[in-house]
Amino acid sequence: MTRFRPDLSDEPAVRLDGVSLAYERTGEVLTELDVVLRQGSFTFLTGPSGAGKSSLLKLMYLAHAPTRGAIRLFGRQTHELKRKQLAALRRRIGVVFQEFRLLNHLTAFENVALPLRVAGQKPDQYQNEVIDLLRWVGLGERVDAPTPSLSGGEQQRVAIARALINKPDLLIADEPTGNVDPEMGRKILRLFVELNKRVGTTILIATHDLELIREFNAPVLRLNNGLLVRDVEYGAAE
Amino acid sequence: MSRRDSPLLPASDAREAALFFVIGALCFLAALAALTTRGTYKAAEAWGAQIEGDITVVMRDTDRRTAEQAANRVASLANVFEARVLSRDEVEELLEPSLGPGGMPDGLPIPMLMVVQADTAVGDPSDDVAEILDELGIDGDVAGNAGYADNVRGALGVLRLVALSIVALLSATAIAVIAFATHAALLARRDIVDVLHLSGAEDRYIAGLFERRFWILALQAGLGGAVTALMVTALIVFTGSGAQGVEAQLLPRLSLDFWDIVILLVTPIMAGLAARLAARITVLASLKETL
Ligand SMILES: Nc1ncnc2c1ncn2[C@@H]1O[C@H](COP(=O)(O)OP(=O)(O)OP(=O)(O)O)[C@@H](O)[C@H]1O
Ligand SMILES: [Mg+2]
Repeated sequence: MTRFRPDLSDEPAVRLDGVSLAYERTGEVLTELDVVLRQGSFTFLTGPSGAGKSSLLKLMYLAHAPTRGAIRLFGRQTHELKRKQLAALRRRIGVVFQEFRLLNHLTAFENVALPLRVAGQKPDQYQNEVIDLLRWVGLGERVDAPTPSLSGGEQQRVAIARALINKPDLLIADEPTGNVDPEMGRKILRLFVELNKRVGTTILIATHDLELIREFNAPVLRLNNGLLVRDVEYGAAE
Repeated sequence: MSRRDSPLLPASDAREAALFFVIGALCFLAALAALTTRGTYKAAEAWGAQIEGDITVVMRDTDRRTAEQAANRVASLANVFEARVLSRDEVEELLEPSLGPGGMPDGLPIPMLMVVQADTAVGDPSDDVAEILDELGIDGDVAGNAGYADNVRGALGVLRLVALSIVALLSATAIAVIAFATHAALLARRDIVDVLHLSGAEDRYIAGLFERRFWILALQAGLGGAVTALMVTALIVFTGSGAQGVEAQLLPRLSLDFWDIVILLVTPIMAGLAARLAARITVLASLKETL
């Protein structure tokens, strides 16, 4: 007997229907957004400062509920999920926060290992993986460095490693190259592309860096004043 | 190189040191109040029983020999611990405040006094004592302290009630302050709660981290406070044991018995539970604000 299982493979990784977000103090910052990110897609999100990029990403990585509208992740209506199910969904999403949000009392290694620990893994299981990833982002020498002793760019790379460590289905990165030199920025982007191509990770990157967008020639969502101005255009920033 | 899980929460900060102090101080006060209340209880019990059991017998127109005879018979009663006739010197000493230090004028007929220590738990021997006097042909009065003891007992009852209220109030305050201070200490850790939450940790997992942290903190602080209270109590018992007479009887009877040890153990556990519960409620409430 085979049980009926809906095939969700065609469901987009992210689907926003008429989503608006209002903050208590600032009022509405996102208005009636419809966004679809197909599974395995690679997309840039851009727009002027204050346009609402980070806010849109927060909705997608389940930090906030939208004021209006519906968000579906991997085919699941998020407002219908229980807290436990939301936690499980968050474990499928890797996030690089604009302000890093590293825990200062932990070392680089411990910060990167955090998502695995939260998922119940023990150091024996993840030790090598974490060190490899830190090496890959060029921090092989700083594995056990206390977080506050790292430079801005180094902290950003720790944040990226943390977002990637549990091999997420969806990677959301908010200005992931804002604090690194152009060469490291390109290296990070190439890693993202590789993940996208090889593993099929769905990737959304918010960035101001038009140069980068042009170079990597991926679809672009452009936000302005909380509105989606242009839907998807290829590498045609400005 | 092998690694162990390091604590997910930072070691401790100034805020937690302050919380530690607050909990320790409150537990000290609560434990001391509870111990003192128990001491007062015990003193009241003992004092009340003693006063109640004291009977004074005044014997007129009799010689010492007959009086001694009466005392012997009274002493053999089942509900009497002790009965004896006061010597002339003792009577003079008793009467000195009214007669002055010059001593008793010779030839003044002074009554014989018998003091009786009764075991009132078995029964009041006053009637039996009066009967013995009658049989020996002694003209005497039997004066018990029972009425006086009732007044004392009433006053002690009020005292107990006040002491119990103080303990209850102090415990409630301690629990409220601990809960509030824990809440405040936790708000400073909001960043950690958020990161764990967004990394996919379940609410229970995050709350558990903080519960353990504050449970242990409050337990240690509470133990510190209770042990300090214990030492202060021991000091009072030690220095107070030199006091004699009425003053000593009025002092709360502090000694360490089973129930005092219970108080000293329960205090930190109550503090720990209060902090733990507060941590749980605070973390879960702050998580409920998020998606
Ligand atoms: N937590 C918050 N509470 C209230 N208002 C907020 C909050 N976060 C952002 N805002 C407001 O929402 C608007 C959009 O902010 P957001 O951070 O999404 O912009 P952004 O496009 O990411 O900007 P930048 O490029 O500078 O990062 C801004 O006006 C900001 O002041
Ligand atoms: Mg932003």
